[in-house]
Amino acid sequence: MIFRVVTTDQSSLLWACVQDMAKPLGLQVCSKPWELSLYELHRTPQEAIMDGTEIAVSPRSLHSELMCPICLDMLKNTMTTKECLHRFCSECIVTALRSGNKECPTCRKKLVSKRSLRRDPNFDALISKIYPSRDEYEAHQDRVLEQLSRLHNKAALSSSIEEGLRMQALPQRVRKPQQESDNTTFSGGEDNGDTRSHVSHDSAPSHLTSAPTGHTPEAGPSRGKRPRVSDESGPEADGDSRRPPWQSPPSEIELVFRPHPLLVNPTPGSCLVHRYVKTTANATVDHLSKYLALRIALEEQGGAHTDGPPDVDYISEKQYTIYITTAAGQFSTLNGSLTLELVNEKYWKVSKPLELFYAPTKEQQQPSPQVHKALPTVPTQL
Amino acid sequence: MASQNMDPAAASSTAALKGNETGGSVPKGSVSKRLQQELMTLMMSGDKGISAFPESDNLFKWIGTIDGAQGTVYEGLRYKLSLEFPSGYPYNAPRVKFITSCFHPNVDENGFICLDILKEKWSALYDVRSILLSIQSLLGEPNNDSPMNAAAAELWDNQEAFKAHLHATYKN
Repeated sequence: MIFRVVTTDQSSLLWACVQDMAKPLGLQVCSKPWELSLYELHRTPQEAIMDGTEIAVSPRSLHSELMCPICLDMLKNTMTTKECLHRFCSECIVTALRSGNKECPTCRKKLVSKRSLRRDPNFDALISKIYPSRDEYEAHQDRVLEQLSRLHNKAALSSSIEEGLRMQALPQRVRKPQQESDNTTFSGGEDNGDTRSHVSHDSAPSHLTSAPTGHTPEAGPSRGKRPRVSDESGPEADGDSRRPPWQSPPSEIELVFRPHPLLVNPTPGSCLVHRYVKTTANATVDHLSKYLALRIALEEQGGAHTDGPPDVDYISEKQYTIYITTAAGQFSTLNGSLTLELVNEKYWKVSKPLELFYAPTKEQQQPSPQVHKALPTVPTQL
Repeated sequence: MASQNMDPAAASSTAALKGNETGGSVPKGSVSKRLQQELMTLMMSGDKGISAFPESDNLFKWIGTIDGAQGTVYEGLRYKLSLEFPSGYPYNAPRVKFITSCFHPNVDENGFICLDILKEKWSALYDVRSILLSIQSLLGEPNNDSPMNAAAAELWDNQEAFKAHLHATYKN
């Protein structure tokens, strides 16, 4: 989203005025010193932008500005606290004051009554400028939440398992003749009964098809017909980003899987190839991780003996951690229970295939240091 | 995830959610909306050491887990908690208690937690994430002035002994 920031130097003028006024006032009324916060004491005036420069703001950081911290929704009939300037929906802050302490929910500044608040029509106008059709935005929110609630909706899950199994069966029937003359037992769409038994345990579809890039070493499973598996169903995967959310057949998602460039040592080995994976959009990161563990275990076993699947009992989604790059170029860990569709929606807005990174999970992940900063008594502004 | 291990034939949560939006009272719909938002942020944030998920189809009852923070006597121990959200959430605090029994100065034998932000210091801005982080940090920094478990408060000063007792009595 792009905004033209139109600022005159009024604000800096105003700042100068305040400073001028502050001096004599401070001298005259020593008994009431100016209460400046640390931020105010140390901030440097921002230079006014005069030349029509455009500033891009990411939708997410924008959203946090326009969100009511109480209902976590977009501000509606904005009310601003007069003293500490925190914003809430009118309804939310009124309810909060009625049912709780008479203080600002954000910073605990005393709010004596409704008169400590003022309407903020400018902010409402700003929001309606940015999101002209609020209904559309809310409909989108509802869709995302709907998807989320499906995550713990068993009925939907079991139906999508059936769907997954049916779709697993489909390409298999087509490829059957070739398969029989070929003893690569672990091929894309089927990955044998193993995956399917996981399906019933995990209650989620996981008909993953994969095609490692050409440079794959001659590991048994990944040779031969592999790439064709995804070619066959290629066209369906186009336009991922615009697919209708959660309509009857589970939509598919294509993604590129690479080793984490910082965490995985570039030693030659079959587990370091780029993997192209296509799966249903309602598979979770955990499914992907488990699938990866299984693939790698199979590939490591290599052509040595293809007489049976390796012991899949110790294959677990805990073995690999899945990462995605954020806008800032940093790697962030993905929670195992996210569906790929949600990941795609949240992190990956471009039309290229989703890019994910993997690295073996470190034993004993330590809690991040910021955890200690969250003290029980100090409200953190979100 | 607990819900995945349950009988797939049982109830459908979408129906329940829809019911809230259309037939049910308006406030209830907005509560579940906020809870869904929280669930989403919680899953997106990928916090280490805490997690929470609705217990079943009921969005108003969650199970949370806390891992003892590194460098505290609780390091390496995992605790389960239950969070029950009242219909007045987030204006009223959820009821939070330990399911895993927890030897701690501010936790009693029934798992009830003495923490100001869950009582008079509650603010509508707190959410599941901040509650769990607060409790995690309470584990390592108890308030020994008003203990609910006097024995734990007394033992706290001797960290070695406390840790020994803690680990000896820990039952998952």
